[in-house]
Amino acid sequence: MSAGFGKRLLVVWLALCAITIVSLIVGSLEGRAAHVPNAAITSSAIGIALVKVRIIFREFMEVRHAPVSLCRLTDAWVLLTAVSLLGVYFLGMAFRMDAG
Amino acid sequence: MMNAAGAGSPQHGVDVRPVSKHSEKSEAYVPGQPDMWAFVLFESFLFTGYFLVYMVCRTQSPELFLRSQAELDLRIGTFNTLVLLTSSWTMARCVKAAREGSFPSASTNAFLTMLFGFVFLVSKVSEWAQEIRKGFGFSSNEFFSFYYFLTAIHFLHLLIGFVVLGVVVHQLSSPARRSQELIETGATYWHTIDFLWVIIFSLLYVMR
Repeated sequence: MSAGFGKRLLVVWLALCAITIVSLIVGSLEGRAAHVPNAAITSSAIGIALVKVRIIFREFMEVRHAPVSLCRLTDAWVLLTAVSLLGVYFLGMAFRMDAG
Repeated sequence: MMNAAGAGSPQHGVDVRPVSKHSEKSEAYVPGQPDMWAFVLFESFLFTGYFLVYMVCRTQSPELFLRSQAELDLRIGTFNTLVLLTSSWTMARCVKAAREGSFPSASTNAFLTMLFGFVFLVSKVSEWAQEIRKGFGFSSNEFFSFYYFLTAIHFLHLLIGFVVLGVVVHQLSSPARRSQELIETGATYWHTIDFLWVIIFSLLYVMR
């Protein structure tokens, strides 16, 4: 394996691990046992996860070398998942059935 | 491996095509078989559906979900995520090494991928056992139903992933085989297991 590609994969892996540690810190904020919904932590968690997914697509799955249609399709899925998850979270919290 | 210019690629047999730095940068190609990408996109949308149902239910009973989520160990979830990310890294290294004709290195990385997958498997089973010992089973409450469903269906994909890795190792073991396309197809499947877990981790362990 050429040094250039090996080094790039190493940097990507280290970046993904570092972002995962950020998730751990975000998930530990404000006392995990407080049992209080937190929109900022939720948005960060989902945002961080989908950034990681996009990096995996582009670097590990080599989508950055793929035809533009596959790049757009994977980006569209990442965006759709982000918007739909956050949309359902905020709408659901605003219109809770048991909130009276 | 198919290139955008439509150049044919051997579907069977030896397909060893070292990729130069120039071609990596200038030629667009779909890694692995396009059918696998269709499957990946199908699975992605299917899991998005599961995630949305989970999110709808979660927003209707946030206290219950948060109380139950606090019973999970965030550090174990983080460890599992790091292990799967590492397995994806070694799988990507396997593909690159095979493409460059460095088959011993490719085989080593394929075996390392299996090893990290196995570590994830053992960690997941021990986490399930720990939760069950604490009295949280599939039917304990809505959160744990989702927890077991999402992690079990992901686990099933992981088990299939071992079969896929077996095919990759088999391909690499003999100069008579070594289809680069099949190796890339296996890698695409394995990375899918990884990125689906990344989202499951954020929804079950991190979000509030």
